[in-house]
Parts: sequence; C-alpha cells; structure tokens
Amino acid sequence: MTNYLKEYFDYKAFLLCLALVAVGLLSVYSATFDVGAAGAFEKQVVWAGVGLLSMLIAALFPIRALQRIAFPTYIVTLGILLVVLVVGKTISGSKSWFGVGGLGGQPSEFAKVATILALAAFLARTTTSLSNVKHLLIAIGIVVAPMILILAQPDLGTTVVFFAMLLPVLYWAGASNFILAAIIAAVLSAAAALFGTLTFLITLVIAGALLYLTRQNRFAAAVAFALTLAIGLSVQAVYERLPAYQQKRISSFLNPELDPKGAGYNVLQSKVAIGSGGFFGKGYLQGTQTQLNFIPEQWTDFIFCVPGEEFGFLGASIVLTLFAGLLLHGIKVAYLSKNRFASAAAIGVTGIFAIHMLINIGMSMGLLPVIGIPLPFVSYGGSALIANMVMVGLLMNFYANRKEH
Amino acid sequence: MIYDEHFGSPQRRRVLTAAVLVIFGVLLLRLYQLQLLYHGELDKKSEENSVRALIREPIRGYMFDRNGELVVDVGPAYAITLIPFEFDKPGGGLLSSLLKMDSLTLEERIARGRIYSPFLPSRIKRDVDIRTLATIEEYLPILRGISYEIESKRVYPARAFATHLLGYRREISDAQLAQFSDYYRQGDLVGIAGLEARYEPYLRGEKGYEFVSVNARGQIIGSFEDGKRDVPAREGCDLLLNVDIGLQAFAESLMTRNAYTGAIVALDPSDGGILALVSKPDFDPSILSGVTPAELWSQLQSDTAKPLFNRATLTRYPPGSTFKMVLAAAALQEGIIDEQYRIRCTGAYRFGDRTFKDLHVHGSVNIIEAIQKSCNVFFYQLILKVGFEKWTECGRRFGFGRITGIDTGEETAGLIPSTAYYDSRYGKGKWTQGNLLSLAIGQGEVGVSPLQMARYAMALANGGTLHQPQAVRFIRNKRTNKLEEVSHDSSSVGIFPEVIALLREGMRRVVQEPGGTGGLARIPGTISAGKTGTAENPHGEDHAWYVGFAPFDNPKIAIAVMLENSGFGGSKAAPLAGLVMEKYLYGQLRRALPRPAPTKPDALKAITQAVR
Repeated sequence: MTNYLKEYFDYKAFLLCLALVAVGLLSVYSATFDVGAAGAFEKQVVWAGVGLLSMLIAALFPIRALQRIAFPTYIVTLGILLVVLVVGKTISGSKSWFGVGGLGGQPSEFAKVATILALAAFLARTTTSLSNVKHLLIAIGIVVAPMILILAQPDLGTTVVFFAMLLPVLYWAGASNFILAAIIAAVLSAAAALFGTLTFLITLVIAGALLYLTRQNRFAAAVAFALTLAIGLSVQAVYERLPAYQQKRISSFLNPELDPKGAGYNVLQSKVAIGSGGFFGKGYLQGTQTQLNFIPEQWTDFIFCVPGEEFGFLGASIVLTLFAGLLLHGIKVAYLSKNRFASAAAIGVTGIFAIHMLINIGMSMGLLPVIGIPLPFVSYGGSALIANMVMVGLLMNFYANRKEH
Repeated sequence: MIYDEHFGSPQRRRVLTAAVLVIFGVLLLRLYQLQLLYHGELDKKSEENSVRALIREPIRGYMFDRNGELVVDVGPAYAITLIPFEFDKPGGGLLSSLLKMDSLTLEERIARGRIYSPFLPSRIKRDVDIRTLATIEEYLPILRGISYEIESKRVYPARAFATHLLGYRREISDAQLAQFSDYYRQGDLVGIAGLEARYEPYLRGEKGYEFVSVNARGQIIGSFEDGKRDVPAREGCDLLLNVDIGLQAFAESLMTRNAYTGAIVALDPSDGGILALVSKPDFDPSILSGVTPAELWSQLQSDTAKPLFNRATLTRYPPGSTFKMVLAAAALQEGIIDEQYRIRCTGAYRFGDRTFKDLHVHGSVNIIEAIQKSCNVFFYQLILKVGFEKWTECGRRFGFGRITGIDTGEETAGLIPSTAYYDSRYGKGKWTQGNLLSLAIGQGEVGVSPLQMARYAMALANGGTLHQPQAVRFIRNKRTNKLEEVSHDSSSVGIFPEVIALLREGMRRVVQEPGGTGGLARIPGTISAGKTGTAENPHGEDHAWYVGFAPFDNPKIAIAVMLENSGFGGSKAAPLAGLVMEKYLYGQLRRALPRPAPTKPDALKAITQAVR
C-alpha cells in the first residue's frame, strides 16, 4: 500500500503546498485580526477549502482530455479577458473592477493556467519545431496575446509573470540559446526605451553582446539585432505620442519609488519589519510592525513581512526552503514525465511559482522594484490561491502519470 | 516534435535547477543580511522608532483680479484629529463635551476614521475656534490619540460676494472619494461650484508627507531620520482672473440696492474675459469657507429664492426685443432687404385672424430705425420674408442654442427653435407662421442665458467674433514661477462687416438718439450702443433685458443685464447697464446713483445672517 501511494500520490507537492497555505493562513490572520479588515481570515480559509477541492480535481483529470481541451479553454479565456477589458473601460471610475481581488484580477489568475496548458499542448505537437520561425512565433504569440490584454487592464505585475513563464518553457522545449537571447534582447530593449537614451544605448550594447555570443549564423544575429533596435525605437515613438497622463501612469509603473507616499515608504517599513525579526522572530501575533504599523498591502503584496517579523530568520528561511523545495520538485516532475505536454506544463507551473516568489519576496526585502504581485499560497486573495492550488494539482497529476507517453 | 534532442534534457534540468538554487541563495543571503547583520539597527528602529506618515495639507492657490487685487485668500483653520487605534473609549465622554459634539456623532466619525486607517489620524472636527483648541490642548495628556492639524480655509477680503463665479467647496462626497481615493481622503474639501470646482486640480496643490517616529505604543516621539524623507506639501497654483472685482462689487451693489433678482454679465469684447458675473440672490461665500454644517447647506438648497442657482449661466428666458438684431442680421446678410427698405408701422399687424400689437405707431421705418425704436410691426413682417430656417441659422451663428464654454462651471445651452423642433413639439403641419411672429420679437420658445446674451453683445461690439468667456486669464505655478495662459476658443459669426455696422448703428441710436428705447443707458461723455428687451412672462411681471457695449468706436466692455419680474428693459435694465459700464470705463461714477426701486424684503439675507 505504501509503495502504491508513493508511486501514484505526489505527497511531496501536496505537503509542500499545504505547508505554504498554512503559513499564509497564519500570516493573514496575524496581519488582519485586529484591523478593519475583519473577516479576511475566514474568507481565506474558505478559499483554501475551495482550492483544496480544485486541486484534487486537477490531480485526477485525465491528461489526454486536459491536452485536448487546452486550446478551446485558452480561446474562451482570451474572450473573457477581452470582455473584462471592454466592460471595465466603460465602467471606469468604479475601481472594484481593477482592484486587488476585484473581478479584473480574477480572470488573469486563471488565464495563467490556461496559457500554460495551451503553450504546452502546442509544444507537444509532433510537428512543432522551435527552430521553425513560424512555430516559434506561434509559441510566443500564445503567451503574448493574454499578456497584452492583461497589460491593458492595466496589470504590469501579471504581465511580467507571463513573460517570465515563457522563457523557461521554451528553454525546456529545446529552444536554442540564441532564440532565448533574441527574446530577452527584444524585451530588454522595449523596457529600456522608456528609461532615456543612455540606458537604451547601454542595453543595446548588452543585447548585441548576448546575440553575438549565442549566434549560430551571422545573418540571424544581425536580423535579431535589427529587430531589437526597431522594437526599442517604436516603443519610444509610441510612448512619446501618448497623452501625458498615460505617460505618467507608465512611468509610475516603471519607477514606483517616485510616488511620494507609496512604494518607497512601504519598502522601508517592510525592511524594518523583516529586519527587526532577528533570528527567532518576535513571536506569533507579537510583531510590533505587523500589529501597529501602516503597511497598506500588508496582507496582500507585503505579506512576507509577517513571517519575517514574527518568526524571524528561522521561520522565513523555512518559508524560502518550502518554496525552493516545491520548485525543485516541479522541475523533477517535468524531467520524469514521458508525456511532453505534461513535461512542458510542469515547467510552466514551476516558472510561474518561481517568478512570483522571486519578485514578491525580493520586493519585500528591497532587492527588486515594487511590482504588485502576490506571494503564491501566502498572500490574501481567493482567485490567486485557487489558481495556484490548481497548478499544484496539475503537478500531482503529471507526477502520477509520469510514465505514460 | 521534430527537433527534440534538447527537450527536457539532463543538461537543461541542471541549468533550471541551478537557477532555482541561485534565486534561493540570493533571497536567503538577503534575509541573512537583514535579519542577522542589520538586525540590531532595524530592531532598534522597530522597537523605538516605527515610522508613520502624516499628511501635510498644501496651501490652496489664491485668486487675484485683473488689477492684482487679492480676491480669494487663505487663512488657518484648526482640525481636531484622532487616531482610532490609540483612542481610549472612556475618553469619549470628555472629548464629546470638549468638542460640543454628541457622542453618537463622535462615535460615527471614529468608526469612519477606522475604515480609512486605524493607525492614522482622522479629522473628527474641523474648523474649531481657538478657545476650543486651547481647551483640547490642556487635556491632551489624558486624551490619547488626539491631536490637531492646521488646515487652510478660504478668506474673502474683497467687497464682492461673486459666489457663483468664485464657487465654493464642500467635504468630498463618498462617490467622489471612491473615484479619487488616490489623492483625497475622508473629510477633504473639494471645489463643487464655480472656479473652485473647475480649477480644483490646479488650486489644490499637492499634499506633503512628514515621516515621524512613533514608539511601540504608537505615540509620536519625533521626526524620522531628521525629516530627510519628508515630502513637503506643494502650494496650489494661483488664478489670475479677468474679473474686475471692484466692478463686480459695484454691479452686485446695484442689484442688492434695488432688491433685483437676475443677472449681470460683463465681458471684455477683445478676448471674452469675464469682467463681472453677478447672479442674485446669492450669499456670502465665507459662510462656506471651512466645513459647511449640514443644516446650513440644506437651508441653502431649500431656500425658495434659490441662492445656489446661477442665474447668469443657467436661466433660460426669452430675450425679448434684444433678439431683434438676429433677425435683422439674417435679412441683411441674405440680401433680402437693404437699409432703404421701409415698412409703415400702424401700431398693429394683422396676421390671419390675429392682431399683433406694437407699443407705438412708428410710421415709416427702415431697419436702423426699427432697431432704434424697437418696432415690432417691422420685425413681424420681416420674419415672414426671411423665413424660419434663415432665422434659426442666424441665431446659431451668434452662439444661441449652444454652450459658451465658460470656465465657471454649469451653463445651459438654451434653446433656439427650428422647424425640426416645432415638428417634434407640435407635430408636422400643426404649427403655423403665426408662431414665427413671436420669435421675430424674441418671445415664445426661444430661451437664452444672460451669459449667451453677453456673448452676443460682445460679437456685436467687436465686429463679429465670439470668444469663449473665461474668468481665468493666467494660472501661476508658484513652484516653477511660470504663468500659464488659459487659452480660449474664438470663432467668427460669419456676418458681413457692413451688416454688423448697420446693426451697430441701430444700437447706437437706441441709446444716443431721441426716440431710442435705451436712453437711460446713456453714459455721460461716452457714446454707447445697446438694445432693450422685455420678455413676456405668463407667470407674472415681465423680465427686463438690456444688452450693450461701450465706447461705440472702440468697445472695452460688452454687457447683458437680466432682471426677473421687474418690468420694462428700457426703464429697469438699461440704467443698470449704463452705470456698470461707466464704472468700468472711468473707474468711478461721475453722477449720483438713481434712487433704488421699491424694495422687497430680502429673505435670504435674513437666513444667512441668522446662521452666521
């Protein structure tokens, strides 16, 4: 019986996920129990229950069927994102459509899952080859389409997540270093174009070097470099033509520290909270920063402060280890899977978790710019929690069926 | 997969595993650095010095008139603040007695503050007097979580009210707060009328933030990092107005003195700058300078004299004979008549089975004399020659039926009837040319605002240009010390100069020649031009109108006067227009003021005085 369990039940993914959800519930409770956000903990518990159920369904869903419905689901998801965008625009001013946990946030969480599955299904087709430019562009397009719809919402954080998911999946599916370098170069140049001429030039030099080092033939490298330059220049041209208020919106996205009351202050508070935790932490519900201070996104984007302050280095490094364990396990599942669809999808899921963890925790500790994305399993928010647990369910599913072709 | 030798290869697994380990390592290192290396420093900060951001209110922009006189000033107002998290419930009784607030209201305000943030001060009472502030200060040691903020409130040094022009502020509504929560917070005052509303984003400035250290109990113990991170509040921009506040005050006093209800709008014909904009009855804007008590507001709203209603821009009355230049312009522009064309006025005009009367028997008149003497019979016959469409079109050319784009807020587009309008109102074929005869003399459905009439007077004064009326000329940014000119639209009415010259000659005679209806508008020493009007009012006394401009050759001021239920334009509105224009042109009156009209009791004055 135990052998049978070990063979088909991915207890590692299951337990790691449960442990992280538990950390989340503890943290949300601590951050909210005496603040105006009463009821947040109870809601999170309910969502965790729904998530558990969804996780089991995802774990038991036949892979073949999953693969078959991947594209139709993806198309429907795109439709929903479009509706949210259009309806959200006509009801502008009613912020609930855009706010955290609002309807605007919800579809994009599930769009992550749908996009991973569609990309994996495409890469698993026997005729797909990433050295074929057309196929490569389709693969990129599958990710870029929802990304654009989400960027327009506007939700920069989720957009970054989509892009970060694409790279490891393409790499896993056999894309050459040159292809990866070309994609990175294009995105770098598009982003750098908004930071002034000097930054743009330096980025071009870096992009050129990347392409040169990974080149397979000179012509392709030259074309890729020309594209990189063209993308950067056109982004710049479009940006300059935007009305001032839209420019401001973009620049505050890119450089949130400029916002006087916002990000800089939060990061400072967050660093003090984590640092003051010391080795053992201040004890559960004893964190003075968590309990007394004003960190507006304390139970969403800055949730990592809570374990950081109350459980100290000991607790926080355990949280980091849980995440690292889950990520390494995800890669292992991908490696063991004989089914290419499952394998690529497992890397996609792992990539999503990795980028969320890196950006969120990095931001809380002042390592990375403030981009508002939640910490998987831990941050308050129903749709993200359920979507993340579904993704763990998928990992469990892929593990159980790893020997199937 | 055609190309699959690398798909999920062991080497690629190693690279991804390495990437995860690097991420893990970097985060762990940073954690180590923050929690173990910097722990002492950060822990000290946290134990003794947690940081809190306090909002520093900016100083709202001032307003100056065209001569640089300060019109809207800023003075201090004291607000009592409370931090819900720190406030002890037992202190509530003492606090409510000190603030003279019932405990229910107090509790409700604390609850609202808690929703905003339990840890930040919320204002629970605004604009308290100095004595209350002093008592509160004495009790501060036993009232935890209580403090005060200095805010600014409006002060009006000028002699004029100019209520509808300058506007006023109220506490932000929940709906606005939901929409603009990124800047405003509960209890902030926002402009809701006039210039205060339209220029709110310029006037308000930017809030500043002061970071203070608080101890573990949340009490403020000093500034954080010597204020290095503080963001100072940015003062709002000043508005430099086209308005002549002395003229405004004088025009208001004329209205008050005669207890008139109505409006006066005076424009600079060269650019549409608003020299004065009076709507009576109004009220002293300083009663709304700080926080407006709800009872005062509802009193203003329910007052039957409608003091909140801007009569200068929102009323829609028939213009009466002041509209005759529209028809005259249409006829001359289209070449339907010329100045030689004459009609014999017998004092009445029979059309169908109805007789349309005139006030006098004018004899043989041409177009100029018809304007001068305001001969109805001439215009009855003229509109039948010109036709409905041409009349409508010419009215639209002078800007009727559409808004002016004034920057003081709400205005009506008015109504200029057209065949389409009559078809939809009465049904196709169910209205007759008889309806047109009323329109010819500015009666019937045509509806105009005093502002539109002033714009019309401006176009006649300057030879045919409609400028967008603007109260603000410049916005002064005090940080960059730059003056930004407020741009305005201008368009031509598209009427030949010779035609306008004829209309102007008619209007000159109205005032300057014997037999003109507007002699009472005469300004000693200056030639002026204008047109009187009396709008029939089925509900009571007629409304008096006057439009005009001066000096005739080089107009410096164009004016429209509308007096509700006061009688003839020539006897009531014209003298006021003359006085206002004289005051503007000479800086003072060089004659005694005429005796005021018999007064009615001023109900509103009683109210506002009772409240103050």
